[in-house]
Parts: sequence; structure tokens; C-alpha cells
Amino acid sequence: MPRRTTRGQAAAAASARRPLFAATIALAMALGGQAGAQQACEVKLGALGPMSGPAAQWGLAMLGAAELAAAEANARNFTVAGRRCTVSVVSYDTRYTAEGAAAGINNLASQGVRFVIGPVGSPEVTGAKPVATRHNLLMFANSYAKNAIGPQWPLVFHLGPGPSEWAAPIVLMAQQQFGMRSVVVVAPNDQGGTDIASVDAEVYRSLGITATEEYYQRGTTNFAPIVTRILSSRPDAVDTASSPPGDSGLIVRQLRQAGFTGPIGHLGGPGTEEIIRVAGGIDVLKNFYWYEVVPTEDPQVRAIADEYKRLLGRDAPENTNMWLWVVGARMTLRAMETAGTTTDTRKVAEALRAMPVDDPNVGRGSWAGQRFFGINQELSLPFGAGLIVDGQNRGVRRIEVGQ
Amino acid sequence: MAPESPAPRSSALAPSGASRPGGQEWAALAIFTAALALPFLTEDMLVSSIANQVLIGVMASLSVFIMLRMDLLSFATPAFMAIGGYTAVLLAMQGATNVLLLVAASFVVPALVAMPLGALVLRLRGTYFVLVTFVLTEILHLLLFMTPGLTGGSDGLAGFPAPTLFTMELADSRSVLVLAAAMALLGAIITVALISLCRQHFAAIEENEALAESLGLVVWRYKALGFVISAGIAGMAGFSLANMLLTVHPTSFGVQQAVDHLAFTVIGGRGSILGPVIGASTLVTASNFLGNQGQYAQGLFGLLLVIVALVARGGIVGAVAALFRRRRGR
Amino acid sequence: MHEFWSAAIIGVSLGAQYALLALGFTLIFGILGVINFAHGGFYALGGYVAYSAVSGLGLPYPLAVLAAVLVTAALGYVYELFVIERFVDDHLATMMLTLGLYLMISTGLLAVFGPQSPEFSFPVKGSYSIGALRIAKENLVVLAVCGCAIGAIYWLIYRTDLGRALRALADDRQVATTQGMRPRLLFPLAFGLATGLAGLTGALVTPILALSPSAGDPVLVTSFLTVILGGLGSIAGATIAALIVGFIEAYASVYLGGSAGALVLFIMVLVILLARPTGLFGRQIRGA
Repeated sequence: MPRRTTRGQAAAAASARRPLFAATIALAMALGGQAGAQQACEVKLGALGPMSGPAAQWGLAMLGAAELAAAEANARNFTVAGRRCTVSVVSYDTRYTAEGAAAGINNLASQGVRFVIGPVGSPEVTGAKPVATRHNLLMFANSYAKNAIGPQWPLVFHLGPGPSEWAAPIVLMAQQQFGMRSVVVVAPNDQGGTDIASVDAEVYRSLGITATEEYYQRGTTNFAPIVTRILSSRPDAVDTASSPPGDSGLIVRQLRQAGFTGPIGHLGGPGTEEIIRVAGGIDVLKNFYWYEVVPTEDPQVRAIADEYKRLLGRDAPENTNMWLWVVGARMTLRAMETAGTTTDTRKVAEALRAMPVDDPNVGRGSWAGQRFFGINQELSLPFGAGLIVDGQNRGVRRIEVGQ
Repeated sequence: MAPESPAPRSSALAPSGASRPGGQEWAALAIFTAALALPFLTEDMLVSSIANQVLIGVMASLSVFIMLRMDLLSFATPAFMAIGGYTAVLLAMQGATNVLLLVAASFVVPALVAMPLGALVLRLRGTYFVLVTFVLTEILHLLLFMTPGLTGGSDGLAGFPAPTLFTMELADSRSVLVLAAAMALLGAIITVALISLCRQHFAAIEENEALAESLGLVVWRYKALGFVISAGIAGMAGFSLANMLLTVHPTSFGVQQAVDHLAFTVIGGRGSILGPVIGASTLVTASNFLGNQGQYAQGLFGLLLVIVALVARGGIVGAVAALFRRRRGR
Repeated sequence: MHEFWSAAIIGVSLGAQYALLALGFTLIFGILGVINFAHGGFYALGGYVAYSAVSGLGLPYPLAVLAAVLVTAALGYVYELFVIERFVDDHLATMMLTLGLYLMISTGLLAVFGPQSPEFSFPVKGSYSIGALRIAKENLVVLAVCGCAIGAIYWLIYRTDLGRALRALADDRQVATTQGMRPRLLFPLAFGLATGLAGLTGALVTPILALSPSAGDPVLVTSFLTVILGGLGSIAGATIAALIVGFIEAYASVYLGGSAGALVLFIMVLVILLARPTGLFGRQIRGA
């Protein structure tokens, strides 16, 4: 089996000498579902993220991206070092915790996964990184944490630009449209909230808008008191940053009920569909601006969903993150072909860093991150800036990134 | 149906409280000793990973088990785990990486915190005790969020140096597993020693605390001892968890985890020390194999809890023991 | 100044919702001596039953709320009668049984309805304004229904034979039983009544907030806090404590910010629990 490492072979050699070892190894392999060696080249792509619970949308989008990239590779004669390889996807539910993500990395690694798409949230990425580094896995993470990637994790890549890159053009667009002078940025009081809200707030300030940060307890069900607190400073605008879509929708609804008429932003992640649903319709949103991970109205980009349906025979996950993450999954597989290995993650990482960013659907991008993270492993791609004015959806504007 | 408890209860109020460890306790110690060899038997990452999680789960469950010996249901295990875990990590970050020191600190600091806390909360019984431990875990969770300077707040603490034994660095997966097994063995030895020493006292407290007190048993002394040691063992579990994850993060120490540990203990069997061992091993392994259906593990735990409460009060271990007895009786 | 009044209104409406939940919780404890870990599960279930009735069967919202009450009450009644009844005096067993039920309900909801919040909104929209103060009509409706329900419970407990029997059972089960009260008949009724209240709250509140399979988690915590504060088993205590909790949450969140509010509440409850375990208005601790 090509994915067994040399350490595994050493253990197998040792096991030949001692029957007890042999029995244990046999048991271990049976447990891992690895009984029986196979000669065919098989690449297992890991999908790690919350597949259940409030953040499940993100994990399912992660899984969808890996599945689509795998199906595409299988359809196009995916060949590594002259051998035709099949790609399959193994997923693990992190339950949005650091612990679950670490256990997930162990679980995936033990099933022979060397390349992982995910995880999504900051707690998960914090938990997954050290363990993935211990196993030398290549990981395409997507958290907006301030330390999502860094020089100490050379095998960890980052999907999509972080708020430090995308916030400014969107705030600029909102400023031109709505002319706000002050904003309250509201987000949950954990890493998933603070790491984005604080960057958003910096960006507002750098554009001459007074910004205050407001944090709520994750799990808050009624935002009426928070809304009252927000409105007591009479801001021109409110930005729900990385509040989950369900929370953002409710904050929007309660803001409007409390008589707030200014623009509301959501600069922290996708989920506008769900926000509209929970808030009670586009009329309630009224004036709204948001960050979209990809230019969702570009027909080229939308074709990803059709492709998914065609190859996998079912509808693509609703969450548009999938459209971005599929780029990472595709590039990882391409890098394996370039590097000529499905096991040596260091070589694949090298190939990945040197690979030009040009996705057939999403378009041209670049590798970034040196300035913010100290390592150039952030996959920067065109993104979208959405705008709703007076209850009219003005669509998602495509914003290119620096080449 | 009568509750089945494998622990001897007949001499509950006998004057001498101590007794020798029984067969199940020796068996548990043998299992933990055998677990020490596991890292040298397999290189398989899934086995190591599950074994590591099991060992941590067992330790946390032992902490719950000790409290249940006194008829106290505690939701505070994650709080003490957090204290132990953060203590060890903070020490390591200060350069004190000696593993013996870290293990000792992860036991002693939560135990010290438990002393004044125990004086307050052990006056409560039954339901009130359950509620207060529930609230304690919630408060600790909030405190972690509100002290970013010390505990890293919502980010947790990551990137601390590996523990060292003299000049050896215990950083690779095998050392992590060996350390987890060693700490679990230590936790089991402490638990066995405690319940052997206080077997009759605990049984008397479990049976009828007021009666035990009126017969001259200084109840609070034993309850305090149990609470403090339970906290210490939870603290070691916290360090073991931090060592496996290479990070301490608030999401690891919530009420959710308390429910899991409780499920391990009760489903495995709260009448015997083998209960937490069997419970944590089966349930941790089961939830690992549920893979991307993680949430369904909770439903499974729920179903098992109900089944255990309805038909097998002694949990898995109690049911197996009863089966053996019946067979022998024939 | 207008924040002050906004916070007061929020406090009252939170308090009324919490009271409805805490009343059910405290009834179960007072009468059966059981801590109902599944209380939040019945809340979420009530929300989903109402949602399914509206979106699936096309029922008008008031009927959907009624359906939610009936389904949750029936489930509670049956679960008490066939499962909890036999272990009613074993507090560990009842905790396992209700905790297990809760885990099963939330997993079941997740399996059936998926993790995302469905579109479930309150039929009454719009808001009244008094000066700078805005009051959403839906909050007023919920407040009114909660008030009526609380009144109905008081009437039931203090003015009817059933209520007298339940109170007698709560005071002293043995004496009550020798006087002819039949716990086997009354326990399932009390449990069903309480879970029905949780279902009612869920059906009322989830459309103005959000519905999700895990919607019950915070409910359990709030119910815990409220009944500890008010004294386990005390009906008046639960009502007053619910208002206190509502006001603290509202004022602390408005003036101190989100996470401080939660911490203030927890620490206050911890202090109460340690200094006066019977709660502000509690009676003698019962044996359980």
C-alpha cells in the first residue's frame, strides 16, 4: 500500500520476528479498515469540519468541495508519476471544537489520508494544526484566525484571503453607497468572533470611520439587550462581522424592530441566504452589504454548482464557501501530479507554492500572506462584495485581488 | 428492580473502614499496566489516537466515579480538567518542562482549588450538588474567556514546549501515549487506594448519609478527601488532553464534556472501577467510528443512558457480573 | 434614558418567557422530586412541531401552537408514565433518564430537520413607537400569552382540586397518599403539564428568535439558574426569580456588554446557592 510510511514498514518488519507484534498489527490494521494490501494507486482526500450542529453548513461545504474535486479528478484521468490514481474522500465531524479537530486529524491520518481540506473555524484550526504537523499532513485550512497560518507550520495553507485583504474594498464600497461615519462591529466573544471583528474594526478606522467593537456570549438566543446597547451609541451602521448566519439574521431583525434604519454589514463569511431567511425577508434587510467568498453571480463561478450536480447527481451544498474551497482541493490534486507523489507532503507543498493561481471557474489569483502571516501560503482569489439598497438586491460585485 | 452494586455493602457501617482491593480493582490495575505496553506494540495512528482519547476519557471518568461512590453526581470534571491542563501548559511555557513536575502540578493545583471549594459545595446534597457543579463548569468557562492575558482567552494556548524527562524530550506520538498511559495508571492506583481505604465509609455515605453521621462517622472528612482526589485526577486528565492536542482551548472544557464523562461512567457501570474503564473504551471507540456523524454519538449516548437506567443499573460491567453470578448459581 | 426603558421592556419579556420555562421545571421538581434535563428538549420540540404544523400542514399559527403544546405534553405524560414512574425516587436514575431523553430529542430533531434554522416567523409584524422607544408587536403578543399561561397555572395550582392534590403531593407525599391522592395518576399529569409548558414556550418564542435542534441548550441553563435562584420547587420563587434573571440579563447586557451579563448571573446564582441553598424563596430542601 503506497500510503503506509516507512515507519509502518519498519514495524511490519519487526512484527515478523514476534508473533505478538504481528497479531497486534493485524488487529490494528483491521481496526483502521486497512486489511489487505492493494497495489492500485488511491489518494484519500480528507474533509474536516463541523458536519453537525450550528456550523454544519461550513463543514458540509468543505466536504462538497473535496467531493467535487475528487469526482473531477476521477473523470479526467488523474495520473501521478505515470500511474492512474483514483481519488476518494474521507470526512470527519469536528463538532466545531479543537478537540474534535485534533481527533479528526488522527483519525484521517490513520486511514491513510495525507491531504486535508479544512477545518473551517478558528478553534478547529488551532486544535488541528499541531497534530497535523506531527503527522506531516498537508492542510488547507480556512479560519480567519490571526494565526491561521505561519512559518512554524510550513504544510498548512490558507484558503481565500482573510479580512485584512477583503474588508477594505467592501467597506469602501459601502462608504460610497451609504456614507456612514460610525459603525459598531458585533461578533461572538470567542476566537471565531474576535479575530475577525477586530480586523474589520481596524479597516473601518483606517478609512476614517469610527468603529466600536461589541462582543456577545456565543449561544446567545435573544439579542434584544445587545441591540439596545449597540444603538445607545447611535451608530450610522452595524457590522455583524463573523457572527454565524443564524445570529446575524436575528440581530438584523431585532435591529430593525428597534427602529434602526442604517445600513447593516456582514463582513465575516457567507450565509446571506440564511440571514435573509432568519431576518424575515430582503425588505427587512433593507440596506445591507456583505463579503462573499467568491463572485457568486459570475456565470463561470455558478457553473461549479452545475458541475457538482452533473458529477455527483445531487444538488451542491447551499453554502457558497464550497465554490472557493473547491479551488484549494483542485490545486492540491494538481500539485500531486506536478510533484509526482501522493505521499510526500513536503514535495507537494513545494509544488503548490510554485503553482500559478488560475482556476477555470473562479479566475486568476495569487499566493499572499507574507505581510500578515509571515508566510506566503494564503490562496488569494477574486471575491465578491454584495449590496442590497432599499430592499433591492444590487448583486455581488466581482473584486479582483492583486496579482 | 433492586439496584445491583458489585461492591460489597453488607458491612457498610462496620467500624473499620478500610479493605483490600477486590478482584475487579486488581483487574483494572492490570489493564492500565498493560496499556503502558500499547505504544510499543503498534505504530498504527488510529489505534494510538483512540487509545489516547480512551485513556483521557478513563481518567476523567474515574473522577466522576469517585464522586458517584458518595452518591454525588458531579458536572465539575471539565472545570478541574481545565485547571490541571492550563496549569501544566503555563508551567511548560515558563520553561518548567520536567514531566514529573508537570504531572504533580496538574494533580496538586486542582486538588488545592478543590479544598476551599469543597468546603462550600459539599454541604449540598443530591440535586443541589448537581446544579452547583453545573454552574461551576459554566463559570470557569466564562472565566477562561475573560482572562485572555493569562489563559489566551478564546484563542486558548498553543505552541508550548514538549515535556521533558531529564534530558529526553517527550514529543513524538509514542511518548505522548506512554505519558497518557502512565498518568492513567497513576490515576487508577490513586483511585483504587482511595476506594479501598474508604470503602465502608463511602458505602455508608452512599446508603444513608444522615445515619452514617449519627453513628459517628465524620462524613465531611471523607467527602472532602474524595472531592479533592477526584479533582486531582481530573486535573491530570486535563494535562493529558493538553499534551495530546498540543493546545489548551476553552472548547475542550464545557458542560458537553461533563455529559460525556458521566455517560462513560454510568454506561460502563458505576458500581465498579472497571465501569469507567469499559465505558470510556467502548464509547470513545464507538464515537470515533461514527466519523462524520459525530452528533449522532450524542443520541447513542442518550439511548444507552436510558437503557442502563431502565434495565441494567450496574451498566455494562454490572450486567456482565450479574450474568456470571447467575451462571455460577445454576 | 431610553436605553433604561428599553432594557426594562426586554427584561419583562425575557422574564415572562423564563417564568414559563421555570414554572414547568420547578413543578416537576416540586411534585416528583425529579430534575428534568430534557426540559430544553421539549422547548425545541415544541418549536419544531409548531413549525411543521405551519409549513407542512398549513395550519394557522395559533393552532400550530396548540399542536405543539399537545404533542409535548403527551410525550411528557407517556414518558413519565412508562419510564420515569418506576424510578421516581431514585434521583440518579431520573437524571440519567431525562438526560438521555434530551440527547435523543436533539439528535432526532437534527436527523429530521437538519442543522440549519428553517424559516419560521411570527405572523404578527411591525412595532409601536413611544418617542424613541420601539416595541415590537410580536413581543407584546408573546408577553400577553406568557402572562395568561402563568395566570392559568396559578389558577390551576391554587384554585382547583387538581392543584390542591398536586400541592399536597409536593408538600408531603406520604401524608398525601394516605389521604387518598394517587401519585400514579397525578405524576404523569404533572410531568405532562410541565413539558407542555416548555413546548408552549418553544412554539411561542422560537419564531421570534431562531429555531435550531440545539435551541434547547441555553433553555436548560436558564431554567437551572432561575429555579436555583427562586428555590427548587417553589412556584412563586420561580416566577419572581425568572423576572430577576430577565432583568439582570437585560440590564447587564445593555450596560456591561454581552459576556459580562452571563458572568454576573452565574456568580450571583453561585453565591445564592452557597449562602442560601434553598434559594431566595425556597422551602426546606427535599431529600432528593
